[in-house]
Amino acid sequence: MGRMTFVLRRLALLVPTAVGVTIIAFFMIHLIPGDPARTILGIHATPRAIAILHKQWGLNRPLADQYWLFMDRLVHLNLGQSLYYGVPVWGLITSRLPATLWLITYSAVLAVAISVPLAMIAASRKDALRDHVVRAVPLVGLGMPSFWLALVLQTVLAVKLRLFPVTGYGAGLTGHVQSMFLPSLTVAVALCPVVIRSLRASMLTVLGAEFITTARSKGVPGARLFVRHVLRNAVIPAVTVLGINIGFLIGGTLIVEQVFAIPGIGSLMIQSIFQRDFPVVQAVTLVFGVMVVLVNLLTDVAYATLDPRVSFDR
Amino acid sequence: MTHRILRTRALIAGIAGCALVALAGCGGGASGSQGGSSGPVRGGNLVFANPQDAQSMNNTTTFDNNSIWIFEQIFQPLFTVTNNGKGVMPWLATGYKMSSDKKTYTITLRKGVKFSNGQPMTSADVKFSIDQNRKAAQGWGYIDTAISSVDAPAPDTVVIHLKFPWAPLLADLSLFANGIVPDNYGGKTETQFYSDPVGTGPFKWDYWHKGSALKLVRNPYYWQKGKPYLNSVTWTDVPSDNTRQLQIKSGQAQIDQFPAWSTVSQLKATPGVDMSLFNSTETNYLAFNEKRKPFQDVHVRRAISLAINRNSLIKAVLFGNGKPANSLFPPQVPYYDPDTPGYQYNLAQAKQQMAASSVPHGFTTTLLIPTGNSDYSTIATILQAELKPLGITVNIQQLDPNTANSNFQSLDYDMSLTLWTMDIPDPDELATFGVDPNSGAKSFFTAYDNPTVVADTHKAEEVTTPSVRQRLYNVIQTDAARDAFMAFLYYSPYPYVTTSNVHGFYVTPLGNYHMEDVWLSKQS
Repeated sequence: MGRMTFVLRRLALLVPTAVGVTIIAFFMIHLIPGDPARTILGIHATPRAIAILHKQWGLNRPLADQYWLFMDRLVHLNLGQSLYYGVPVWGLITSRLPATLWLITYSAVLAVAISVPLAMIAASRKDALRDHVVRAVPLVGLGMPSFWLALVLQTVLAVKLRLFPVTGYGAGLTGHVQSMFLPSLTVAVALCPVVIRSLRASMLTVLGAEFITTARSKGVPGARLFVRHVLRNAVIPAVTVLGINIGFLIGGTLIVEQVFAIPGIGSLMIQSIFQRDFPVVQAVTLVFGVMVVLVNLLTDVAYATLDPRVSFDR
Repeated sequence: MTHRILRTRALIAGIAGCALVALAGCGGGASGSQGGSSGPVRGGNLVFANPQDAQSMNNTTTFDNNSIWIFEQIFQPLFTVTNNGKGVMPWLATGYKMSSDKKTYTITLRKGVKFSNGQPMTSADVKFSIDQNRKAAQGWGYIDTAISSVDAPAPDTVVIHLKFPWAPLLADLSLFANGIVPDNYGGKTETQFYSDPVGTGPFKWDYWHKGSALKLVRNPYYWQKGKPYLNSVTWTDVPSDNTRQLQIKSGQAQIDQFPAWSTVSQLKATPGVDMSLFNSTETNYLAFNEKRKPFQDVHVRRAISLAINRNSLIKAVLFGNGKPANSLFPPQVPYYDPDTPGYQYNLAQAKQQMAASSVPHGFTTTLLIPTGNSDYSTIATILQAELKPLGITVNIQQLDPNTANSNFQSLDYDMSLTLWTMDIPDPDELATFGVDPNSGAKSFFTAYDNPTVVADTHKAEEVTTPSVRQRLYNVIQTDAARDAFMAFLYYSPYPYVTTSNVHGFYVTPLGNYHMEDVWLSKQS
């Protein structure tokens, strides 16, 4: 099977996955007690006012009908209207998705930029002091709650040194790079220990391989050996680890989005759950589901591209 | 959800007669909490850090404070609240005359007022705006129920006809929901209009990136000469208390709406920022569900009210920045009676009341609170300990905010914490909301029913003589306190943090602020 067929087949599998996600999201959010009409009307919620809003939103119809309507709209690429804002859900998601994608991508880039050199340093001399330090210190990052780390970074780098904005998404490419640095670093610090350990372990395995001994005997210099031979072969398992963690990350960006006031879909999700904004919760869950599937697919494609021994056949 | 989000904008009602209408000039507005040494400076963009995004700009159907405080900068009413929160003063109107039967008000409009699109404001706009609000069945329409019709006999005259004499009328008209919009929404649909609203206020619409920021810019046609001083105001959404504080310290935002109480004393000592506690109408209560046993027993309610040490709550929750409540009404509301005998801490009397009750040996009950509200968690824990000596075992039931709110309003609870703030300088809405079981709120969702109190409340709506209203409201407050239908806990100020270069920012006890009076000096 060619790469394209593989990708198309996996993309086709998205459909049943997405339907499953819609069913779970739809019925779970409706199972939770609470009422969006009460959110909007607050303490002024009279039975009459609640009934008017329920009728307006179609919430007075049977649940199965509401699900059918949701799916019917979805087929026509219409995600419905936000009950809270009264605007199309599609517009809300498209306006907030870029910030989340920035956060995830930037975090992955920073995680790689930090992990690769550190793993190389650690693997270059197994069990030496530098190896122990590289293995131990990043673990602190894994143990630190992200909101706490975020606060420390904001206080030191944004408030005291004024190197970065405290919050926000920024405007334009430079603005995004600058504004999203601290949140992405916060996420990357939690990602790094896993990637470093995996990369270091595979580097050590590769370093013991015969072709490395051959390269060494041929006099390939250390740096070149590491970058061209060791890293390329060792990076394969790390890609899988990174891919899986990004999958988790997609659902986990919401804390960082909240702390850094980033207008992404993670914070939209939290807000919509509290407001019982059913159409938005359903749509965001669907987007998260699709993103996880796509990241897994990209990981598989990257894996096969990096390692010619891996076939697209299953 | 924090208790700030639960905060209600209680509203309504009016001020009786012209005595309470300050006919002072229109330029009054807000007086600054901080003054600048060299006078106002024009220019600059002021950034608010808000805990929550706005919901809608529709002033007739929106109950959310974060929206209200923003669209109050766009839409203005005929009368506005005075700075002490106890009266109204002419705003887009310049005065009024009341007919001898007190059922017709002839209002003169201010000359030279224009909308932000340059169109002049006329009586047709006023008639349309009030009529629109009257139609808002799931919104603020009930505020205008006393109005039978609105006429526009001349471009600068509006006549309001009432179904019956109605004391709170001017206060009702000062409500943002009666803010003036162009006749027929300037030819747009309601939805189109509120996505790009036009008003007579000091600022006009720029953009709203939902979940991120909403920006208003200076209205060049604003009727107060020389104002507003700022070029623009941006409200940003920053859910985390800590992050908002860091934004202020870094100068990324200039006003933090509602810092955590635990940070107030530290912020007071922080250079470069000003911590303000504005007088407010916020009152916190412990509600008893009289549909559930044993809370229909007045002795049980009194015993609990007497067992609560308000000062310890204020110390633990507000870090000392509040006052014990003695009445259903807060002190900043007209007709508040400082001598209302609301129960205060007295354990011996509490035990006596308990002994006289239907459950002399105590009982087990639940206290419903929303999750994520640390203030309410603290109060609940303290109440749990304070009611133990009465033999009352309190189980704290924490539900997510939407469910907790839903259960509270459906009277599916034993005891719950709640609060109230006013929007209009008249106690009528609070009284009706609080003690009338036939109102939509079923006596503040307690099912409390004292026919004498209900009758007095409705009598006070139709009497326009202030001294008579005062007498009626004194009786209402006393009866409600003796019935202990809720335990009145404490009055809380509004905390706001600003950077030191913000001048003229003032919050009325009703929560409104006038951004046309605010200016920024150069950051030192």
